[in-house]
Amino acid sequence: MASAQQNYFELFGLEPNFFVDQKDLSDKLRRLLHSAHPDRHASGGSQQQMLAMQKTTRLNDAFAVLKHPVKRAQYLLQVVKGIDTTKDHTVDDPEFLMQQLELREELHNITGDKDATALMDFADKIEQMAEVQEAELGELFKQDAWDIDALKVAIYKLQFLYKTLHDIELAEDKILD
Amino acid sequence: MALLQISEPGQSTEPHQHKLAAGIDLGTTNSLIATVRSGKAETLPDTHSKHTLPSVVHYMGEESVEVGYKAKEQQAIEPGNVISSIKRLMGRGLADMGKIKEFSANQLVESESGMPGVVLENGIEKNPVEVSSDILRTLANRAEETLGGELGGVVITVPAYFDEAQRQATKDAAQLAGLKVLRLLNEPTAAAVAYGLDTGSEGIHAIYDLGGGTFDISILRLQKGVFEVLATGGDSALGGDDFDRAIGQYLVEQAGVESDDRRAYQLAMIKARDIKEALTDVDTVDVNFLDWDGKITRQQVEDIIAPIVDKTLLSCRRTLKDAGVKVDEVDKVVMVGGSTRVPLVREKVEKHFKVPPLTDIDPDKVVAIGAAIQANVLIGNKSDDEMLLLDVIPLSLGVETMGGLAEKIIPRNTPIPIAKAQEFTTFKDGQTAMAIHVVQGERELVEDCRSLARFELRGIPPMVAGAARIKVTYQVDADGLLQVTAEETTSGVKADITVKPSYGLSDEQITTMLESSFSHADEDIQARMLREQKVEAARVIEAVSAALNENGKELLSEEEFAAVQSSLEQLNQVSQGDDIEAIENAIEVVEKNTNEFASRRMDASIAKALVGHEVDEL
Repeated sequence: MASAQQNYFELFGLEPNFFVDQKDLSDKLRRLLHSAHPDRHASGGSQQQMLAMQKTTRLNDAFAVLKHPVKRAQYLLQVVKGIDTTKDHTVDDPEFLMQQLELREELHNITGDKDATALMDFADKIEQMAEVQEAELGELFKQDAWDIDALKVAIYKLQFLYKTLHDIELAEDKILD
Repeated sequence: MALLQISEPGQSTEPHQHKLAAGIDLGTTNSLIATVRSGKAETLPDTHSKHTLPSVVHYMGEESVEVGYKAKEQQAIEPGNVISSIKRLMGRGLADMGKIKEFSANQLVESESGMPGVVLENGIEKNPVEVSSDILRTLANRAEETLGGELGGVVITVPAYFDEAQRQATKDAAQLAGLKVLRLLNEPTAAAVAYGLDTGSEGIHAIYDLGGGTFDISILRLQKGVFEVLATGGDSALGGDDFDRAIGQYLVEQAGVESDDRRAYQLAMIKARDIKEALTDVDTVDVNFLDWDGKITRQQVEDIIAPIVDKTLLSCRRTLKDAGVKVDEVDKVVMVGGSTRVPLVREKVEKHFKVPPLTDIDPDKVVAIGAAIQANVLIGNKSDDEMLLLDVIPLSLGVETMGGLAEKIIPRNTPIPIAKAQEFTTFKDGQTAMAIHVVQGERELVEDCRSLARFELRGIPPMVAGAARIKVTYQVDADGLLQVTAEETTSGVKADITVKPSYGLSDEQITTMLESSFSHADEDIQARMLREQKVEAARVIEAVSAALNENGKELLSEEEFAAVQSSLEQLNQVSQGDDIEAIENAIEVVEKNTNEFASRRMDASIAKALVGHEVDEL
């Protein structure tokens, strides 16, 4: 019987896997919401509406996690191995730490100069780096026996790049206003 | 309170009675009401065949009110007793008045609601909720007379960029008018629904909605009857009136008017509107304003208003980014709102989106029609379209943290319904209480955001600083209503609040206003409640029995089945009597006993949806 115990992958009829077809995921969400959304239960009573709200909330939540490579990777490790990587943020990789510092400084300078073009270029660069990093993470998940330490580092690196992309958006808001 | 009634389209378990519902476009300048009749959504005209109702109210005495064209006529005769553009004040505090240009400071006073009251020359004072309620009532009366029955519920449209306080004020106005609000719907979304269902258009749509006083931009994906809002943005204090103001400013400068000459400024605004309209057809106009005679060219006017149009495009950029959509992925741009008639707006929008904007829909009616379609769905009238609207929250919801900073819990443009939790801790040894301040907005500082609610979590067991685990959960339902819960997880101490913004009216204020209003016939409230409870009981019994028949044996253990059945019999008995409370309780017992059953039924139906064969042609 389907129940709240279903994990996010199961909700979407998927095996726990890092590789998720985004279009298929969107299509399934639409199909599921067509059945679960509170508006489809408008003629039902409050109990039914409450249930519909809870189920839709969970579907929206699941979709947000499965859509995002970092959240999906973290969730996958949690579901399959019971490992929580959302709080542990230590990476022993001097080269990466140095790169992190340099990227932060570059963003800081661009924001200070209010240089919109440089910011766009910087965003392109980070997006490319994120793509490469996501592919690397995917390779690690492809292996039969997962190297947990390597996965943790790869997830953290990708997370840093996404955080930088978010900071770029904030910087853009500041430059444009 | 029925169990899940899964009825396939067209074979519902009980004969459906068509319920009356309407969509209302409550505009700054004009308002409209529309409904779905024989499967077709249309706006309803007044007895003089006019569809629009000017959002103008004339107060002749406490109980003597005129709304619409008659009130508008009075604007020239006794402007001091006429109120227009009241939408600008909805959900605003006196402190916000700097941004609102339509009302002079001496017209406005502090009122109990927290919103400014408008004082008229004849001494009558009205708050924005009351004025809006008079407009809503006029429209509702029109619909009820046309349709020959009481409205079961309405969908009212609001600018997408309205914050919680402005939304709540709108709901309050409806409640005061005796209307049940099924949903507040964002104006651009309503336009998309009307447009999409009418044309069957699919793909990514940008709805560019520039009204007199507000600008909204929404990005939607239309696919097989599902309207998915990807992102929405805009500016609730930017509109076509700003064009007039900018042009007026130019006139005032040319004529060398003193900056405190309010009358001259008003004249300049009127003149500016004429110039703007004249220049849509010709390239140059002769202008006489006070002591100044001159010529104004279209180019000049375009230079004056260009910065305002550019500001709207900036919003478009950001909203596209929020939607995760690149500009060349936009299939269609739909123009809504009277101010999109300005040629420069069309030009610039076309250049920005690289597609010619669609201007062939009636920008005045499309919003009300979309609202009517959604109202028809939400009141429970099954339609063939099976349309579903997936919406987002327009502004981020956050909480105040140390140093007056706002931390976002649910970022803007998150699909609703949604729940998000964040953990906080105490910062002092032995701290037993924590204040939760709920805010809305994008800015970093709490003082720049809208304050929605404050409440306290008390009774935290004394611990060292940083040891307590306080989980703050934000739940937004499909109506966009926010519920906040705070829980200390190690001890289980809990507090919660349903957010009612600081600028809204309290329930008591609404009740008082309702009682003092004459729009409500005195009805025996007790009798009405009993009748409603009996109807409710009958509905529950029918729905649960049908559900039990359908798959009760399959989904319930024998024990569970028996428990449901016995509570049902109990309810059946009690509902023959006249004890309101007993019926209420019996319904509650049935609900408690069927909660798990309902959940299993819904899961089964959702699981079917994924298999795909059972649901339409999706």
